[in-house]
Amino acid sequence: MKFSMTRRSLLAGSAAALMTPAILRAQEADIAIGSLTPNTGGGGPFGPNITASHKRVADAVNAAGGVLGRQIRLYQENSETNPETAVRAADKLISVNKVSAIIGTFSSSVTLGIMPKCQSANIIQMCTSSSADIPIADEKGLVFNFQPLSPIWGRAIADLVLSRGLENYALMALNNDFTRSMMDGFIERVGTEALVQDPFYYNAGQSSYRSEVTQLIEKSPEAVFIPSYVTDFTAVYKELYRQGYEGAVITISLSTGDQFKSTVGAAADGVIHGFPVPALSSPAYKEYLTEAGLEDTGSVQHPFGTAGRDQMSVLLLAMEKAGTTDSAAVAQAIWDVTTGEGKKTVYNVADGLAAIRAGEEINYSGASGSIEFDAEGGVLGRDFQLSEIQDGKDVVIQRLEY
Amino acid sequence: MIFNALVNAALIAPPAMAFSLLFGILKFPNFAIGGYITVGAFAAYTFNVPLGLPLPLAAAAAMLVTALVVWLMHVLVFQPMEEHSAITLLVVSIALTLIIENVIRLFFSADVRGFEIPLERPWKLLGARITPEQVQIIIWSLVIGVALHCLLAYTWIGRAMRAVADNPMLAAIRGVNATRITAFTTAICGALFGLTGVFAGLDLVIEPLVGWNLTIPIFAAAILGGIGSPYGAIVGALLVGLAEEATILFLPSTYKIGVGFVIIAVLLLLRPQGLFGTAEIRK
Repeated sequence: MKFSMTRRSLLAGSAAALMTPAILRAQEADIAIGSLTPNTGGGGPFGPNITASHKRVADAVNAAGGVLGRQIRLYQENSETNPETAVRAADKLISVNKVSAIIGTFSSSVTLGIMPKCQSANIIQMCTSSSADIPIADEKGLVFNFQPLSPIWGRAIADLVLSRGLENYALMALNNDFTRSMMDGFIERVGTEALVQDPFYYNAGQSSYRSEVTQLIEKSPEAVFIPSYVTDFTAVYKELYRQGYEGAVITISLSTGDQFKSTVGAAADGVIHGFPVPALSSPAYKEYLTEAGLEDTGSVQHPFGTAGRDQMSVLLLAMEKAGTTDSAAVAQAIWDVTTGEGKKTVYNVADGLAAIRAGEEINYSGASGSIEFDAEGGVLGRDFQLSEIQDGKDVVIQRLEY
Repeated sequence: MIFNALVNAALIAPPAMAFSLLFGILKFPNFAIGGYITVGAFAAYTFNVPLGLPLPLAAAAAMLVTALVVWLMHVLVFQPMEEHSAITLLVVSIALTLIIENVIRLFFSADVRGFEIPLERPWKLLGARITPEQVQIIIWSLVIGVALHCLLAYTWIGRAMRAVADNPMLAAIRGVNATRITAFTTAICGALFGLTGVFAGLDLVIEPLVGWNLTIPIFAAAILGGIGSPYGAIVGALLVGLAEEATILFLPSTYKIGVGFVIIAVLLLLRPQGLFGTAEIRK
């Protein structure tokens, strides 16, 4: 085939060539942020709320002109609450989309799984994970956790159940870092003298939990505490019920969602469960309800969606404060905009951006909690709530305010 | 403890018998049983919860579905590969179980489910706590053991099954149609895996890994009893059930999952043919 070029096509080609860098420049100007959330799998009930929050904050900021004069480009990936899927997604976000941060990871295994890639690419991570290994693995100080670590869960749940007058306990935990360290926190508060026997661990995926349950209730404890995940807790609870245990059964709220309730039916009544919740009285939480189109029912809604709003807000405020998307500078600015006394308190990203641009020092107080970080990037405290399943519904029985 | 062990045994004896029967005919350890059991559990769930059938009917329908799936897998996957070595087929069966699990995850998600049947408090008998559900599992397991014995010992097809397992060529010379007998065996075994799925759904929870979690105890029971010997599998199931329950008296519970592996390793070292198997002479 003969190739010929007319003056017209030369002109068109040259114009196109000149246009291309302009398009590329426009793309470079956007700030790319990865939202990696558990939209299916174990975190499935929470992931879509987190995703929606990330998008709402980014859209609102874009509509108001963006951050550092640049638009936010959000790349959404589903982690399936599975570390292998998450690592593949993180790979794509880092090498193809060139994101500055990956936010929204939920389970500790996912947060830890993607951490080596994020650290080597100098990318900020924001998560709601509870493993005590997270601050240890974060060598560059780029990880910010919007969830208290699991020993804090254990201590808070123990404080709440102690005030119910329960005196002796038997403990059994799923054998992983999250639940083991939660059990340690629980024991720290109730004291070893309140335990009727040595606490022990079981593995997930067993072909039966009969002997473990027999051992757990052998000394007829007043209450049993079982830090666990929904799959193993459901099997363990069925066995507890079938072995006729009538004392109090205490676990974490992540194990007692709709899947648990529909699987065990009416037998679920009486189970006590606790976990960190948003500060219901905070102005930011009330703003969140309006943004998400929810009625204020006085009870906890979207426990992780609120954290999603705070992650994106804090990240964008820190970028504006740092005046760059460079990760080390942004990480430092995250402390500046969230932690410390004597600053102007802001409850949403718009007010925060306005204050920063006016040269004010700010302290962002979020919908999930007041958001103050310790030196390792862990949130200092959250409210906790204890609920009891009554007639198939969660009824709040106590709240511990941070 | 004895009662706990009995329930464990009742849960793993029928699939261990089926595993042994399949091995007898096909001459390779079929690890796809995990996937087959999961198919049984989810089929019964579909008939029981979304379609509203009573559990016994749903269980029967699930047995039919699983029988069909196991036969189809045999025809589509293992039959075209029968010239390959047992090791190749074993690896293929592991791949098959992963595929089945993931297909189920695709349609049903990884959520935990249960049958439409209320949990019951136990009866207390001589210090043991027994629920009606567990008694049913034990009774059904016994009925299946006896029925399978009668089928193998007293019927023409049972004799043909044993003949094909023993020496397919000799059986063919005597006019036994090995293809039909193999199809029948895979379907019977499929029905047993389906029923195990129902029992596992009752005892544990219905989720995509429910079958895989039972695979090692089933395999251990079949090896212990002498792979290829269905009666040995019953004794093997009892011993594995007892060993798993007794472990917790001496060792932390986290080691329980390894009991099946230890039994397999010790037996392969000391008595590779199992308790009731016959030593094979290879020339």
